[in-house]
Parts: sequence; C-alpha cells; structure tokens
Amino acid sequence: MQKYILMIVKQKSVVKCGKKQKKILVIDFSFIFTDFSASHVTNSSGSMSFLRWVSEKLSVESLRDLELFGEQAQGLSHRKAHEDSQESLTSLPHPDSMGSFLPDSSSYELLTVIGKGLDDLMTVNMARYKPTGEHVAIRRIDLESCTNDMVTYLQGELHVSKLFHHSSILPYKSVFIAENELWVITPFMAYGSARDLICTHFTDGMSELTIAYILLGMLKALEYIHHMGYVHRSVKASHVLISADGQVCMSGLRSIFSLIRNGQRAKVVHDFPQYSVKVLPWLSPEVLQQNLQGYDSRSDIYSLGITACELANGHVPFKDMPATQMLLEKLNGTVPCLLDTTTIPPEELSLKPSRSGADSGICEGPRTGGVRHSNGDPSSSSGGHPYNRTFSPHFHNFVELCLQRDPVNRPSAATLISHPFIKQIKRRPSEALPELLQPVSPITCFESTQPLDSVSGLASLESGFSQLEVDDWDF
Amino acid sequence: MPLFGKPHKSPADIVKTLKENLAILVKHDKKADKASDEVSKCLVSMKEILYGSNDKEPHTETVAQLAQELYNSGLLISLVENLQVIDFEGKKDVCQIFNNILRRQIGTRCPTVEYFCSHQEVLFILLKGYETPQVALNCGIMLRECIRHEPLAKIVLHSDDFHNFFGYVEMSTFDIASDAFATFKDLLTRHKVLVAEYLGQNYDAVFADYEKLLHSDNYVTKRQSLKLLGELLLDRNNFTVMTRYISKPENLKLMMNLLRDKSPNIQFEAFHVFKVFVANPNKTQPIVDILLKNQTKLIDFLNNFQNDRSDDEQFNDEKTYLIKQIRDLKKPTS
Repeated sequence: MQKYILMIVKQKSVVKCGKKQKKILVIDFSFIFTDFSASHVTNSSGSMSFLRWVSEKLSVESLRDLELFGEQAQGLSHRKAHEDSQESLTSLPHPDSMGSFLPDSSSYELLTVIGKGLDDLMTVNMARYKPTGEHVAIRRIDLESCTNDMVTYLQGELHVSKLFHHSSILPYKSVFIAENELWVITPFMAYGSARDLICTHFTDGMSELTIAYILLGMLKALEYIHHMGYVHRSVKASHVLISADGQVCMSGLRSIFSLIRNGQRAKVVHDFPQYSVKVLPWLSPEVLQQNLQGYDSRSDIYSLGITACELANGHVPFKDMPATQMLLEKLNGTVPCLLDTTTIPPEELSLKPSRSGADSGICEGPRTGGVRHSNGDPSSSSGGHPYNRTFSPHFHNFVELCLQRDPVNRPSAATLISHPFIKQIKRRPSEALPELLQPVSPITCFESTQPLDSVSGLASLESGFSQLEVDDWDF
Repeated sequence: MPLFGKPHKSPADIVKTLKENLAILVKHDKKADKASDEVSKCLVSMKEILYGSNDKEPHTETVAQLAQELYNSGLLISLVENLQVIDFEGKKDVCQIFNNILRRQIGTRCPTVEYFCSHQEVLFILLKGYETPQVALNCGIMLRECIRHEPLAKIVLHSDDFHNFFGYVEMSTFDIASDAFATFKDLLTRHKVLVAEYLGQNYDAVFADYEKLLHSDNYVTKRQSLKLLGELLLDRNNFTVMTRYISKPENLKLMMNLLRDKSPNIQFEAFHVFKVFVANPNKTQPIVDILLKNQTKLIDFLNNFQNDRSDDEQFNDEKTYLIKQIRDLKKPTS
C-alpha cells in the first residue's frame, strides 16, 4: 500500500511536464485509486461514495500521516486556529444599528488581540470605542510590510466593501490610517469565524442544523453579491463570522470580482484571484483550470459546497495537498463528501479512533461495541468514532448539488435557499444558533488580558532606522 | 413582451417617470417613499435595457432611444446632481447607467463625451462629490470613467477645481482618500501629452501643492504621492518638467531628507527621484554644491542604503552608479 502511495507522490512531480504526460497521468491516477481501494479494504462495497471516501481520505489525510509532506496532522488544527481565523470579529446585536465611528485612532482603546491573518500582516484587536463605550473589532494591517501592489489590492477591497450593504455581509464602519497601519473598524463578532469554531471546539465537525444556519447566512450574502454582479472567490469557513446573537456575516471581500466593468456586463471571468494560495482548496475546478471558458458566480457555489464539507468534517477537503495534485483531483471529478455512516464503510467506523485520528477520520485500533448512530450530532458521539453519525439525505444532496463538476448544473444561491436542507431551519438564528453552539460561549470579557503591543509596527520601524543613522545633511 | 403583467415601458416612459419621481424626492415631499420605490424601479429597468439580462442581449435601437431621451431630458445630469437622495442600491445603478452611456460609440464618435463637453458642469458635480461621504465613491467611479476620455480629462485638469484633489487625497476617511488618489493618478498619467503640456504650463502651482503631499503626516499619502512623482518625472513625455524639477536645490534637499525617512518604503521611493538629480549630466550649480557639500556622507549613506535588497539587480546597479557619480564630482578649481 505504501508503495502505491509513493508512486503517486513521485508521479505528481512529473505532472507539470506537458500536456501529453498529463493525460496519461490522469488515467494512471484512476487506476491507482481503484487498485488501492481494492487492496486496502476487504469486502469493498464498490459503491461510488466509498470510492470517493477513499480518494478523499487518501488524498488529504493518509499521505500526510505517512509524513510524505513533512508535516504531522497531530494538533495541527489547534496550532493553526489563530493564524487562520483571519476574520475573527465582531458583533453587537445588530451591526446595522451601529452609528458612525470617527476615523481617528485616538478614539479607540485597543484591547486583546483576537486574531491574525493575511500571512501575519494583519492583527485583529478587540477595542473600545471611547466616545460611546461600544466594543468593536479593529483589523490593523502594517502597510510598511506591504508591497505597493498589496496596498493597491487592499484599497480595492475597501472600495468594494463600501458598495455592499446587506445584513449578511460584515460592514466596515470606519477605515483610516494610523501611523503606518491601516485600521478597519468592524462590529465585534463574538463567536469568531466558523473556522475558529471547528478549530477550537468542533474538531470533528458541527451538527447538521448548526451548519444549516451558517450556510443560510452565507447563501443570503452570496445571493446579494451575485445579484450585484460580483463573484466572491474566497468562500470558506474562515470568512464567515458569527455574532453573539447568532447573526452570520460573510467577510473576506479581498478577492471579489465584478462582472460589470467598462460599462459592460461580462458573462464570465477569466481573471485568477491574486494572493489566493491559501484559498486553493476551496476554489472550483473551473477557477483553477484558468481556461478560455472562464467562470462565473457558480464557482462560489462550489466553494460553498467545500465549506459545507469543511464544517461537517472538521477539516477542508484537499487541505495540505500539493496544488497540482489537488487540481488534478478536481478536474478528474473527485468529489469530496460528508464523512458519515453512508460514506464510510462500517468496518472503518467500528475501529476506535486514536487521538491523532480523531481529526482526520483515520482509524488505528479496533473498537469494541456496536455502531452508534448519532444522527448528525458529532458532539454526542464521544467515545465512538467521530464520523459514526448520519447526516440527512437532504444534506448529502445539497453538497452533491454544489460540488457538481459542470458549473451549469449547480443551483444558484437563491435556489439553494429553498433547498429542503435549508428549509429544516424553523427558528430564528438569534434564538437557535447560540444554543446550537453550546458549550461554546461568545467572548464577553472585554478586559485587556495582555499588555498592549499597540504601535509595535512603528517601534520596529524606528529601530530599523537607527542602523541607518548618519549625521544631518549639510545644506 | 411578457405574457402576464404590464408590457415593458418604452425608454421615453421610463425617463419621464424617473424624472417626475426624482423631483418629488428632491422636494422631500410626503410621498417620498413611493417616489423612492419608483426611482429604484426605473433605474433597474434602465440598467436592464443597457446591460441586458441573463437571457437577453441589449437591443441597440432601444439603447439609442434611451440615450437620446437621457440627453434631451437632462436626466443624466440631474441623476448625478441629486445622487444623494437616491437610495443605496439606486446610487450604484446610476453609476452603471452613467458608465454604460458614456462608453457609447457611434462609429468613431462618442456622443456622450460630446454631450458632456457642452455640459461641463457634470464633471464638477462629480468632483465635488468627494466632499459628501454618501456619494463620494459613486462619484469617483463615474469621474474616472469620464477622464478616460481626453477631452473630459482636459476640462478637469485645466480647471481651478483640480487643485481640490490635493485636499481630497489626504482626507481622514481612507476609502474616500484612496478613491480620490486613484482618480488623481489617472488624471496625471492617462493622457501623456495632455499632462506634459499641462504640467509645463502650470508647473509652479502644481508642484507647490504637490510638495505638501510629500510632507504629509499620512503615511499612505506620502508613500503614494512620492511614488507617483517618480513615475511622472521618469516618463519621457515629461522630460521638460523633469529637467525643471531637478534643477531646483530645494527639491534635492527634500529628496535627501526623504531618503532618511523612518519608513524603508518611503526611502526607496525617494531613491528613485534622488537618482535623477545625480544622474543628470547637466546639473545646475546649486545642485552640484549640495552634492559636493555632502559628498562623503552621501557615499557612506548609499553604501549602507537598503542593503537587504541584494536580489534587486537594477537597484544595486543604480546605487553603484550613483556612488560613482558622486565620488567623481570635482570641486571647482577656483
């Protein structure tokens, strides 16, 4: 078995070489997958979903566990929790009801750091707005560490964010320059991002109903964004924020692209999003493919499907896979799925998970006891295999619709809002979501828990300058 | 024609309805809510005529009719003028309608550009929009579309209002300041010949204002305006302007000080302007004097300047060249 995997890894490096070779490789891959699945698991059911499960498991997890990627899965998600939760923020009951905020850094008292992002260029602080005492989140970006292109790129995001006004999109309340930092004031979202939640609490995924609430918020935002003629291009769990009262907001508008430009409406986009390395696992095959056919808003629907898997499985499919391999997988029609009793063979589920396997769905030892159906509630399955649960057929269907290879077949955001999976929502998010997220509670302690590093960026600038010290010029 | 409901309104009807309801909105009548709805609806129908919908391409003849109605009724301009009273989504629709109409071409003619040339006030309404946060970005989008056209750019550039940009780009609200800077930069770089001529004629006024940007307390203003200055001076079309700029000792002093700014990015942009002073084969005496006075310091300084950029070959070549130029400077033999 290890041999086969090594083969795959070796062949992957050849993939770049040429079109002809690529084609052969594609065939090779499918052969290896089939062979692998047959030899690895006896009594294979041979069903499509099983193959899919194997290919996902193989592609995402096992290679990493074999240390072929040099990085161990263990504890990874926890370590990354804070780095990745780029958009950890905000929330007062109704962000829209917040008044205006002065564009002046002296009006804000910086409190705890609640997140990092943008490859550490960005620090997110909780803060108190002095004139009213309201709590807000401040994204601080050290522009001195940004190239000119990056600054322009950030300016583009700010511009676009001002053209959106929707209850499911995180509003920017004030934007200004403080020393060499860009400060963006947003409402404080007390639960952080959906990615924070799966990194810190729901490591094996959230319950089906919780996911339905989160996806509904995302769909509302996407419906608006698409209706306005934009493609979001960065739909993922870390770009979904949840407020203390269960309001779901989308963020991460940095990569958004308008189909309406130059006084014309384009049917498709050909542009490949800048600075998108971290988003690759979520991007649709047609975005990654970069061919003449281009892509449109349906590519966001694919990303939404990937996000659904991310929320349900506790990790994103294709994560940590080399980009080339992931591209091949997606083009080849490898469709990620929700990991549960319908997609994982019972033999696998009857094995007791080890600690390291808990996050990945990889099993190491035998497990005693019968199969337990937890009906989509992973939190109640402690002790058993984390994926020994069954999501509803509606949820599976929802994800399958989103992840179809041909974008034309994917439903629009507006259509998906009336999908039976979403229709199971009976209560208002403000009543249901905080309850569903228990035992997680929103951050309510607003005290500064650590010394402020407020103008650290500038301080480092000063020290850098001192090395350059020369006498004043003589004029 | 749809099977159910009212048939689509003609362009003339839409323009008429929109005009009437916009008037109600402007007067802040009691019926404002209903008028606001009507305005939104009309704007959406107009947008659909101009951009088409998912299954329908725009119809050339209907577009022509609508454009004609918009000119004749003066509605195109009054939409811009009263942008503030239109709701949030409607403002964006106005931008899209405006930009589409502006791009219209009949053969080589641009009828909307011609129309605006004889209704120049629209350009200044847009420019003034930067002073009203609710409409600033929408106005910026439309203004940038206008200045793509040389005749319209010329009107803005040669107006007194152009100098307002120096204030707009420094506004504390960064998204508006950024937008204003983008427009400002477009104005100064898009139509090279026009700009060279303008800068030549208005050198003193423009550079007096420009210098304030280089002294700005706002980090981004300082960095971006310095970078733009470098681009302007190094553009062949601006040769005369460049010669004039690098003959003045106060400009050299400013650049030498900016070379020592606490921000490495600003130092780096300053370097690209500073190098022109040194590389100039026909340096004026005051320039030579300053360089000579600081000869040793400059050589030391440049030797240690941004040495972490070791992989930037061009930068290092230029630095070596500058050091050599400064070392070779001879004191007058008097």
